[in-house]
Amino acid sequence: MITVNNKEKLDWHEGMTVQDVVDRMGYVLSIITVSVNGQLVPKEDYATYEIPDNAEVNVFHLAHGG
Amino acid sequence: MVTACNYPIRGEIKVNTNTEKIKKHRKNLAEMYLGRWPNVEAIQNIAKLCGATDKEKYKSDITDENPKACILCGHCVRACSSFVLQNILGFAGRGITRHLTMPFGETDPHCIECTSCGYVCPTGAIQVTDDMNNPADPELIRRHGMRINAMMAMLDDEQNRMRQVGTANLVEVMDSYDLLPVHNYKFGRHKDTPKIDSGVMKSRYFTQGAADGCWVGCSMACAKAVDGFELKTGPYKGQKVVVDGPEYETAAGGSNMGGFDLDFIVEFNFYCDTYGVDTISFATTMAFVMECFEAGIISEEQTGGKKLNFGAMNEALECLHEMALGEGFGVDVGQGIRRLKEKWANELGADPGFLNDIGMEVKGLEFSEYVTKESPAQQAGYALAIKGPQHDEALLIFFDAINNQIPTYEDKAEALYYFPLFRTWFGLLGLCKLIWNDVVPPDNSKYPPNEATKIPERVEDFQKFYEGMLGEPLDEKKMLRQSERVFNLQRLISYYLGYGTRADDMPPLRAIGPATEEEYLSREERYDKQMKEEIGIDPEGKTTGEKLAITREFRYKRYNELIDAVYKKRGWDNNGVPTVEHLKEIGIDIPEVLTLLDKPNI
Repeated sequence: MITVNNKEKLDWHEGMTVQDVVDRMGYVLSIITVSVNGQLVPKEDYATYEIPDNAEVNVFHLAHGG
Repeated sequence: MVTACNYPIRGEIKVNTNTEKIKKHRKNLAEMYLGRWPNVEAIQNIAKLCGATDKEKYKSDITDENPKACILCGHCVRACSSFVLQNILGFAGRGITRHLTMPFGETDPHCIECTSCGYVCPTGAIQVTDDMNNPADPELIRRHGMRINAMMAMLDDEQNRMRQVGTANLVEVMDSYDLLPVHNYKFGRHKDTPKIDSGVMKSRYFTQGAADGCWVGCSMACAKAVDGFELKTGPYKGQKVVVDGPEYETAAGGSNMGGFDLDFIVEFNFYCDTYGVDTISFATTMAFVMECFEAGIISEEQTGGKKLNFGAMNEALECLHEMALGEGFGVDVGQGIRRLKEKWANELGADPGFLNDIGMEVKGLEFSEYVTKESPAQQAGYALAIKGPQHDEALLIFFDAINNQIPTYEDKAEALYYFPLFRTWFGLLGLCKLIWNDVVPPDNSKYPPNEATKIPERVEDFQKFYEGMLGEPLDEKKMLRQSERVFNLQRLISYYLGYGTRADDMPPLRAIGPATEEEYLSREERYDKQMKEEIGIDPEGKTTGEKLAITREFRYKRYNELIDAVYKKRGWDNNGVPTVEHLKEIGIDIPEVLTLLDKPNI
């Protein structure tokens, strides 16, 4: 089980990547910053960065708009 | 040996960039540059790197001894085109006659004198001699302005695409996060949203991507337009017109009315502009009218025979035309939600409680187009906004509902202190906020979340604009204090006019949670989970009506506790009125201001 933004719980599976979490949560905003257990993950690594079980994942959206 | 800039990569290739052959060639090129511009420092530096020292080898008739000669690098041409989208500067001639010029070799009156070319020129060939309106430090302003321009040119395409589609990019984003208003804010997404998203706007509607009327030379140029749009209704029916928009708020107004058709949205956009009607107020009012029609509160008897169900786009346009002409049901619609609630309760015996629950207005102004149910901070951001529920003061949905980065009342109150003041500051100086948060430096993530939210590098840019103009440094504390004086004065004027107390800051139920059983059931799993985890009540075995009542009580209690914390942080009393002590602290306790604290002029 992993925790997203200190709120949502997601079932963990072997080989789970940052991109899996972003997709699963439906996060489509272009300006997001992801950290796993406090470690920043560069955008180009989303598809390959594997998340360990019990991880705290933070997906930080920057608001924009009018 | 090939040039890297125009050689397409095919399959697997090995690239060598520093062989003896290449070094020799590079040195030869540097010597040619050196022969043409022997005294330009930028050329000398390149030559030195390449081991070229012989200034005489390629000396010729075209050698320019000027240390500030133009070296045809093209930085200025690119800055003109990609920073400020102007294309005023360009090259003419070939080979040794190639030179920098404006069209037809004349000074182009369309040049907006932004000075981007002079800023990027590495040799000083382009000198800025005009100090415009006498700023204290023009170089400081230019430096920070160019930082923003460069960021915009580099990042916008992969971030918010403001240059391509403007704020319309939010349509699909908000739908994805269940935040796009649909059917009078009942829902946050709809299967037909792809029919009105920015992709369709860009491919089939927008015809103008250049700078708009805000300010020619803006490096964001987010406003878009539709050319040659043939109107289907109203006094200009059959004519082809130019339509300024649609912006996100207008498109989302379409979804709010159930109008998932861009022809309709562009047409209502045009007629609102033409009649001088706000697209947000019209759309939100029509959405309310449509829900009342579907709920049986009003019928064709009131609407002049129009069936005003959600999605009744032609009928909505009829209402708009009637409103402008002062005829028929349009006269009622033009009154706005607050007066319609009162009218229909008094004249039709409608339940005022229900009308208040679903009528999306605060202080008499209609809500703008975001669903706020899952974000207490945004609920307060809207309802506490001095001129009514619009996102100009605080747009906190993502920080609160999605990021969960302001979890406590104190965190939310802090955000509801900082952002309204920060955003008010732009208004004080006549600056656009979109430049602040619609392009974000790539390394913004180095800041802790609550600081990153502010986009510190961009805040610094704006502080330096102030300093460069007035010669006086500005920090966050001083910036907020400038705003705080105006913000409190605005609240006091609002209070004096009868719109500035706690009762005026109360949002309708639909802004803070589900207002009907249909709405509760549409997100039943979410609301049941919240009831169990946040309220501590097991929803098992309860009717939808019972669960709705429990949710309502909890959410209003939570809202009231939040605004208690916000009032305290802002230096206002429990009724939301600025205290004399606070006015004294911020230096506006002058008699003319204190007079406003007299009995409200209701």
